[in-house]
Amino acid sequence: MADTTVNSKDVELQKVAGPWKEAWRGFRKSKIAVVGMGIVIFFILLAIFGPLFTPQGINEQNMAERFQPPSSTYWMGTDDFGRDILSRVVYGARISLWVGFLAVVASVIVGSILGILAGYYGRWVDTVISRFFDIMLAFPSILLAIAVVSVLGPSLRNALIAIAIINVPNFGRLIRSKVLSIKEDEYIMSAKAIGMKDSRILFSHILPNSMAPVIVQGTLAIATAIIEAAALGFLGLGASAPTPEWGKMLADSRSYLTNAPWTMIFPGAAIMLTVLGFNLMGDGLRDALDPRMKS
Amino acid sequence: MIINKNGGVNLGNKKIMSLAFLMLLLISTVLYGCSGGSEEGSEGNGETGGEGESGGEKVLIFGRGGDSVSLDPITVTDGESFKVTKNIFDTLVNFGEQDTEIEGGLASEWEAAEDGLTYTFQLEEGVTFHDGTDFNAEAVVANFDRWAAGDADQFPYYGSMFGGFGDEEGHVIESVEATGDYEVTITLKRPMAPFLKNLAMSPFGIASPTAFEEQGDAFGDNPVGTGPFKFVEWNRNDTVRIEKNEDYWIDGEPKLDEVVFRSIPDNSGRLNALLAGEIDLADGINPSDAETIEGDENLQLFERPSMNVGYLGLTNTREPFNDPLVRQAMNHAIDRQAIIDAFFEGRGEVAKNPMPPVISGYNDSIEGYEYDPEKAKELLEEAGLGDGFEMELWAMPVPRPYMPDGQKVAEAIQSDLAEVGITAEIVSYEWATYLEKAANGEADAFLLGWTGDNGDADNFLYVLLDQDNIGSNNYTYYENQELHDILIEAQTEVDEEVRNDLYMQAQEIIHEDAPWVPLAHSTPLLAGGSNVIDFKAHPTGSDKLSSVDLE
Repeated sequence: MADTTVNSKDVELQKVAGPWKEAWRGFRKSKIAVVGMGIVIFFILLAIFGPLFTPQGINEQNMAERFQPPSSTYWMGTDDFGRDILSRVVYGARISLWVGFLAVVASVIVGSILGILAGYYGRWVDTVISRFFDIMLAFPSILLAIAVVSVLGPSLRNALIAIAIINVPNFGRLIRSKVLSIKEDEYIMSAKAIGMKDSRILFSHILPNSMAPVIVQGTLAIATAIIEAAALGFLGLGASAPTPEWGKMLADSRSYLTNAPWTMIFPGAAIMLTVLGFNLMGDGLRDALDPRMKS
Repeated sequence: MIINKNGGVNLGNKKIMSLAFLMLLLISTVLYGCSGGSEEGSEGNGETGGEGESGGEKVLIFGRGGDSVSLDPITVTDGESFKVTKNIFDTLVNFGEQDTEIEGGLASEWEAAEDGLTYTFQLEEGVTFHDGTDFNAEAVVANFDRWAAGDADQFPYYGSMFGGFGDEEGHVIESVEATGDYEVTITLKRPMAPFLKNLAMSPFGIASPTAFEEQGDAFGDNPVGTGPFKFVEWNRNDTVRIEKNEDYWIDGEPKLDEVVFRSIPDNSGRLNALLAGEIDLADGINPSDAETIEGDENLQLFERPSMNVGYLGLTNTREPFNDPLVRQAMNHAIDRQAIIDAFFEGRGEVAKNPMPPVISGYNDSIEGYEYDPEKAKELLEEAGLGDGFEMELWAMPVPRPYMPDGQKVAEAIQSDLAEVGITAEIVSYEWATYLEKAANGEADAFLLGWTGDNGDADNFLYVLLDQDNIGSNNYTYYENQELHDILIEAQTEVDEEVRNDLYMQAQEIIHEDAPWVPLAHSTPLLAGGSNVIDFKAHPTGSDKLSSVDLE
């Protein structure tokens, strides 16, 4: 990625800003996107530093303090075990973001490799990989995730693996189509002509140049991955007790909806806000990185 | 099932195989779903038709947690099956309306010989089975002959209640003879104290001999008895429909024209169906919803008299639970009262023995293990585990009458154990798998419970903790020869007082060995519309609906 930036700078003698800088400028123009990024950064900071400052222990049960409504002691109230919901929501940010990022990074890596192979080599390689993607996409993704988790056994790690797996075909297809168009470009032709090795062409030229849509898709996919992790947690297929995973917190609060709504509202709001943040940011990135959208 | 087994036990290759399997399964499920669609539609219509007629017909819809396994009661052991068969079949003797005292059933009178070896039953006359076959002494004998000719796979309850089959040494029934048209004499090889109580149990409902001879294994799909209701149809995993037996031998019963048992697995889903008026009666009510129901004038709350125990079983053959000190430490480490206050909403009492206090022979002089983390730590220290240890804590995936929410109880226990240095990981499987794996002794510690079938101490202590029942209902693999001798002696002891003494001794031994952490005796809750009249919840968990009416 850095290679191309430097190359273009060299050629154009730094008169024009690099494409990334330009993209950033475009991104900044959209207020909503910046708000989205603000939310995302807030939650990232919360995930990293929040647990250091939480008022109560995350797993400390205190049966005498069950179902306390939000107050100055318990800002978000307490749950059915008398645990402080604020502390748990804050700690939950770490889990959700961790799962979201890691699952998406994993599926980007696997998806990229498969996509590049399919796009660059074509023919039977393409047929095999593309049909494989088609089959996976034929299932509703959450159903597939449930299936994967039930084979591997329910745990947070396996939920992460499942989410990574179901996202592979999305990235794979994206990269494949990008590779298909790039490989016809002249600079690839010339690279081939001077006898550059396939592997070098793939990783130094084609991959960096297909990254922009992946970044956009990746940001949006993190949002989906967080929801999927929460959904698996809700179904009891994700994090195990007493981990304060947001989806699991929602599931635990189900029976107390009418009596203690705060047990549901806060983890629910946390999921909604993070997902909203990633979606807004992703939309902004798309507008900024997609040349066709430029006015 | 295959997938579960592979996924659980093997590695690598097998996992890939199971994944491939799963794909196939998913595809077939989707295809099945497509074909099933229209069928379900017509069922739905059928049902609304039934409800629509309720202006003239009294149809009671009973919402429950799961489907029946079979409607031939002798072939099953699960409560959901008995819930239905109790209304299709009658037994020779009955339990009381809300207790387990013995009353007349198909036998109006009976006489036990002094030595406790011969029982003579006088049968009701003029009773016919739903298929028109006459009920008489011959029919009763035919039923007993059928049961005795089976094996443990076929008729599991017969074997465990009467000690075996046919010529087996343990089999307690010597002979069953028709000594008149309406007189049956049963001779036993040795006295059996809970004999009449056993006969009153739902599995021993008297079936039409013509029907079971004709249908063989298919009898469970077309049950024919003498009960207040006749079987109509069974849509698996959805509804069982039974209708009024116009010729029922008790005058004026049943009062309802039709009863539909509908499976709604989710507790809150079932309550919602009740609130929406889709069902008239719902069992498995969450204790946390009790207040809401009591506050709603369109609903009424029923308490099932408690005859159960919920416990944490410690597999005695696994490290470190093979050490009684560790098991006692577990007993001291868990705060039962807090668990009952929180997750039974106080509708239950702390258990100190493996059977509830309503059962005669209960030993109230035993002092339960106090909640005392310090004591627990000392005991662990003594056992050489001062630094604690790691274990799996199994939590049941479904709400049970004896434990409304296993997952939450497990979480509370997990936190209590953490306090004494034990790290517990909560594990759960699908219900059937859970029971199977626990029975195989694969769990370190597991939550489970038991609802009494006949109100006898034998049905708790022998069934759950005797070495004879390792592999079936003794999930902890607890073995104690002294206890075994006492329990067997109690089985044949006819003198009530001596028998109770034996059970009291047995409970002391169990208390000392601590194979379980007994947790609670819960009060299961049901709810119904305010128009339901005369519904009486029976402690055994299956309710006879013949005197129930709808306003």
